[in-house]
Amino acid sequence: MSTLEIMLVSAFALVGAGLYGLLITRNLIKVVIALQIMVKGALVALVAAGQASDQLALGQSLAMTVIVADTVVAVIGLAFAVQVKRVRGTLDLRALAELRG
Amino acid sequence: MADWLIGLTIGLPWIGALAVWLAGDRRAEMQHRLAVVFSVAAGAAALLLLPSYGDAPALSIEVGSVFGTLTFVPDGLGVFLAAVATVVGSLAVIFSVDYMRGEASLGRYYALVLLFIGAMVGLALSGSLFLLFVFWEITALCSYALIAFYNDDPKAVAGGLRALIITQFGGLGLLAGALIAYAYFGDTQISTFLARADTLPESMLALMAFGALAAAAAKSAQVPFHTWLPGAMEAPTPVSALIHAATMVNAGVYLLARFYPAFEGVAGWTTAVILVGLLSAFLAALMALVAIDLKRVLAYSTISQLGYMVYAVGVGGVFASQFHLLSHAVFKALLFLAAGAVIHSVGTRDMRQMGGLRRELPFIRTVFVIGALALAGLPLLNGFWSKELVLEDGLHHGPVWAYAGMLLAAGITALYTFRMVWLVFYGERRGAGHVHAPGLAMKLATGILAAGTLTSWLLAGGFGKMLAESLPFHDLHAPAALDLYETIVTAPATYLALAVIALGLAAWWWRDRLAGARDALAPLARAAEADFGFEALNRRIVTATAAAAESLRATQTGLLNWNVLGIVGGLVIVLAVLALGA
Repeated sequence: MSTLEIMLVSAFALVGAGLYGLLITRNLIKVVIALQIMVKGALVALVAAGQASDQLALGQSLAMTVIVADTVVAVIGLAFAVQVKRVRGTLDLRALAELRG
Repeated sequence: MADWLIGLTIGLPWIGALAVWLAGDRRAEMQHRLAVVFSVAAGAAALLLLPSYGDAPALSIEVGSVFGTLTFVPDGLGVFLAAVATVVGSLAVIFSVDYMRGEASLGRYYALVLLFIGAMVGLALSGSLFLLFVFWEITALCSYALIAFYNDDPKAVAGGLRALIITQFGGLGLLAGALIAYAYFGDTQISTFLARADTLPESMLALMAFGALAAAAAKSAQVPFHTWLPGAMEAPTPVSALIHAATMVNAGVYLLARFYPAFEGVAGWTTAVILVGLLSAFLAALMALVAIDLKRVLAYSTISQLGYMVYAVGVGGVFASQFHLLSHAVFKALLFLAAGAVIHSVGTRDMRQMGGLRRELPFIRTVFVIGALALAGLPLLNGFWSKELVLEDGLHHGPVWAYAGMLLAAGITALYTFRMVWLVFYGERRGAGHVHAPGLAMKLATGILAAGTLTSWLLAGGFGKMLAESLPFHDLHAPAALDLYETIVTAPATYLALAVIALGLAAWWWRDRLAGARDALAPLARAAEADFGFEALNRRIVTATAAAAESLRATQTGLLNWNVLGIVGGLVIVLAVLALGA
């Protein structure tokens, strides 16, 4: 297996793991964690794409930018979770949902 | 020069809309004045634009690679419709000074009317399919907002929504056509499409042709999409005159005429167009015969007359259809404005409450009768020439069954027109209450339109020349005006039509002796009152949609996991489609 293939497989594995988390979890904190795992997969894919197109520096700098943005997402997401827990007293998504078709 | 005039004709009403809105509802006099000044100025600009017609784009705006170049082409069809829109628009605004005096939200009213006038000019002059679609939708939005102008009246709001939904549904056909043209030619210019339409695959061209027919039928309130127009009569009457009689509803006929050279070869298309026109002309005339609301009679008669124009396009008479469009715009705007003056004076739209108004409203009676005679198609008024021309083209180039149907519809037109005039102005007054006299602005607007009704047929020669010279893809030859009149006067078809119209008149005159026939036709009358089941069909579609939405509620769980699953599922479908397509 070439490096590129290894990177792509791990990228898919990370995105898949995150997606699986989003599909099954009922806890708001775990949702944030699952999102983080998905973004990490995207980061690996970015670097892999940079390498494959001979623009490794571009891929890496994009990845750095995403890391910064993604950290902000995590921080805000967790802050929301804290507030939700304080106001509603639960982190269970089913209890939080107000739309009941 | 032409580029400036195009800019002014579209821009002036839009600047006016902004100005009226900024003036604020506390300065009503100022709003009246601003609206009149800007609409009249736009009308003048459009009239100045008339002599500089041509087939090349006069104004091009580069907007990058996605939308291509937005062009405005002042060809015969375009400048003529722009002139109709702005001139009738300015007269409707002048009429509004009296009609809307003292109403609340004047700023909203005038701003929407002026926005509409500008958009209608844009629609007429635009040379790119994309731009055409954008203006098409702006006019639909203005129409919706103006029908629902009295927004504390649930009937008005419902009528507006219905108009919006039906015309938007038709607009999809136009959008699909624009996208197909863009996909095949990489360009949305109408001229490109007309020049290269025969290189399109047959199925795509057929899709575009029938899409355009659906769009036109929805916009021009043709069967089976006509049900929104009677509901649109909740709008203030000047709006009915401007949007729902003289301009916006003509956009459908305009679209068919514009694309006729590309679509005429599509199998079954011309027959479908003839059928839509015939059904609309005939059924709407029957419905007008039994309606008791004055504005609804006029609305049904608009559907019926638009049916004549659609029919004319179907038999290849593009000039005849546009000529009738001109006549109809003038005399129907006159009828609507005069009806508005009557309604304003009496305070009701119910014809059973009118009668005998000839004494109280002599001026309005005179102009209304002029308009009515033109609608019935009596000689020397503009409606006579154009309707005869439509029937003449139909006889020579169309199927006989369609011609016979249109002829019968002309007789019914005469019948319902005289019924309407009689119920409103003659006989004895049936309602109570004081009748107040119409104002000067009302008299001015209707007087100008009455003069137009008497004389606009004199423009036929110049109009034909303009169309023939500036539409390179249409196979039109300009008949000299005198030849045209001579053909109409000497053709046997004319006398046949006049005889049918006279029969319609006679049927009204001897209506008491025909009581037996009337009783025999009572089931037909009941069907016409029930809108021939189209209204029920509408309701069924609405109920079915609501039921489908209700049963789809179960999918809206509000749970994150299910939503993520939905997103992933959508992604998988898109990927599968792409994989299959590639």
